[in-house]
Amino acid sequence: MVKGFKRAALALTAASVLALSACGGAGSSGSPGAEGSATGEAGGGTLEVFSWWTSGSEAAALKVLEDAFTTASPGVTFKNAAVSGGGGSNARTVLSTRLQGGNPPDSWQLHPDQDLFAVVEDGSAADITDLYQANGWEAKLPDTVKNMLQKDGKYYAVPVNAHRANVLWTNPDALKKAGVSLSETTSISDFVAALPKIKAAGVTPVCLGAKDPFAPAQLLEVIIMANVGADGYNQLVTGKLPFDDPKVRTAVEQFKTVLENVNNDSAVLTWDQAALNTANGKCATNLMGDWAFGELNHKGKKDGTDFSHVTFPGTSEIFDFVGDAFVIPAENAPNAAAEKVWLTQLLDPKVQSEFNLKKGSAPVIKDASLDGYPDYQKKAAEAFQTKTIVSSLAHAQSAPAEFATTYSDAVTSFLGSKNVDAFLKTMTEAQKNQLG
Amino acid sequence: MSATPPAPPGDNLKAAPTPAIESRARPRFRGAALFMAPSLILTFVFVYGFIAFSGWISVSNWKRPTRQDLTLRHPFGATYLEMFQEERWQASMRNIIVFTVLFLILAVFTGLVLAVLVHRVTVAKGLFRSVFLLPYALSFIVTGVAFRWIFNPNSGINKWLVDIFGIENPPQWSTSTTIALPIYQPSGEGFLKVELGIPVALLPIVIAAAWQLSGFAMAMYLAGLAGIPEEELEAASMDGAGEFKQLRHIMLPQLWPVTVTCLILLLHTALKIFDLVVAMAGSGPGFVTDVPGIYVYDMMGKAGRYDKGTAAALVLLFTACLVIVPYLTRIYRKERGH
Repeated sequence: MVKGFKRAALALTAASVLALSACGGAGSSGSPGAEGSATGEAGGGTLEVFSWWTSGSEAAALKVLEDAFTTASPGVTFKNAAVSGGGGSNARTVLSTRLQGGNPPDSWQLHPDQDLFAVVEDGSAADITDLYQANGWEAKLPDTVKNMLQKDGKYYAVPVNAHRANVLWTNPDALKKAGVSLSETTSISDFVAALPKIKAAGVTPVCLGAKDPFAPAQLLEVIIMANVGADGYNQLVTGKLPFDDPKVRTAVEQFKTVLENVNNDSAVLTWDQAALNTANGKCATNLMGDWAFGELNHKGKKDGTDFSHVTFPGTSEIFDFVGDAFVIPAENAPNAAAEKVWLTQLLDPKVQSEFNLKKGSAPVIKDASLDGYPDYQKKAAEAFQTKTIVSSLAHAQSAPAEFATTYSDAVTSFLGSKNVDAFLKTMTEAQKNQLG
Repeated sequence: MSATPPAPPGDNLKAAPTPAIESRARPRFRGAALFMAPSLILTFVFVYGFIAFSGWISVSNWKRPTRQDLTLRHPFGATYLEMFQEERWQASMRNIIVFTVLFLILAVFTGLVLAVLVHRVTVAKGLFRSVFLLPYALSFIVTGVAFRWIFNPNSGINKWLVDIFGIENPPQWSTSTTIALPIYQPSGEGFLKVELGIPVALLPIVIAAAWQLSGFAMAMYLAGLAGIPEEELEAASMDGAGEFKQLRHIMLPQLWPVTVTCLILLLHTALKIFDLVVAMAGSGPGFVTDVPGIYVYDMMGKAGRYDKGTAAALVLLFTACLVIVPYLTRIYRKERGH
């Protein structure tokens, strides 16, 4: 009788616990969806925009988009859900958790090309071909870029800017002191040969902000580009050209030499600190995308006096494209009507003009006005329309996320071991296993 | 013990752990099972059930976050093999073992020293106890940021070393890629791709972690010291034993159970370390400060390789179990009276 009571009690408890947890589960699944707008009209609710634009010039540029949206849609509150962490690595993690949980933001930032294709394949991004047709955007964008925004003839993302990743920011005084001059026609081997000269003059030749893993990864990809050209680079990131090709090997050896001439606190500096150090005279050169231009201007540095720029030696005909684009969710969209208004505003010529001025990038559409743009940006916009555009690997654009992470990890390993053979071996294997 | 009928399984769980005394008749509270059941069920589902699910994912084909593919990957365990051949994972394992050993030694030793000193102090004992225990209340991120500033190679403690002590080449702390006391150099062809030794870059992190947790060790030792009868120490000093001899022959042997408990409790903190390393140095150049916690985070978030992430987490669990399970088994056996 005692045993019977015990068994019954156990069964009763188990049943009640399970019943309670089932009730709790049903109740909580409703709440994430309610976070966004409950009204179906564009005249109410919130628009949550997810990005990694948190540093000075980036935040100012995002504000331009926010103001444009709130003017177009006065009843909707703009919610800035930016997550900091250089190059977006923290933001990506948060975003993938939210997408997994069926709780997407209204719109999120990503890079076109493979970064976009990943969310398209998973069905997270909505088809917006109708928006493209309604606004006639196809005619305004360069062909290479259009290919990075569509899959199977359907468009999924709206681009907002074009950054150039192969720009070498220089300190004119430091270079003059070392007696070195860099121009658009300098070759990569001349540049590498000039580094010891700069060191001998008492200045750190290259500033690198290696705390952000994308910085050394980007430096290496640009050196590789200088050695194999745009075609060779495109073949490399699709697996058609193996990493242990002699030209790529030369590039990695040159990267090793550059690393010997880099600031000794690179492991604790972020990309913007390294750029600022160059403008302050602590080193002579710094390879960074032209988002550094926006950042330096924001910090009050003057182009021509505090810093100067040249296309990275050997890559003057190449535009290493790093772009940002916005997508809207295909399912569980919190505020679908406001999202369409948001996307439409992004390619308005006036908004494009103002946004890119603050961001330091080039507008993606031809008819955005360049009035009031600094010289560098005018040149960059022209280069975007005329030079060969390639997609960056360091920013997970030209290859899927796993390959890009393998590349980034291999570069981090290389920073420690400086073992060229090991790096090439890892990358060739990764090409075989992860690409094509 | 032999006269009573064998106790039903439930009774062993509800009995409070008694020291190794012969167990007397324990109160048999029949309703105890009712009280235990909710906890047990929740633990079973949310801990063991989820561990089993993670184990399944680690041998499956789930390689992209939003494309769940739970079919078995062939050959079985290929993900584990792939992971152990990676330079980054080998570096992570080396780092976590080195970090755990150094951290445990430093934290427990510092805790013991502090406890012995505070135990003897006559003035403001409570104040000293609180001050040494205070770091335990901080979050690892706060400690990490503060110590990152301290160990910045261009400012912080190095400026002090250069300006005041005139040391020419101060240590590079967490930016250094040197491996001290290397016992193995990778040949480039073999299975092991990393140098085995003590990464110098881990030392600042060990110091920061020990600073935060030695207060905890001190608190445990103070409790242990309070349990040592004063008469034994007085008898020893009357026999002519000095402070050190007393410490070595009377206090330390009696503090052994406390030491073991402390080591076990700090072990799981050391193995799971994540936020402190991220705040201080990240993965470091050449992965000299990478730890499995960061590896799992990167695999799950950045690379989206759910199978590798769960495999790494399970290896970490296994490593922790290697130490904790024998300890728990020994305790359990002792309580049942062998």
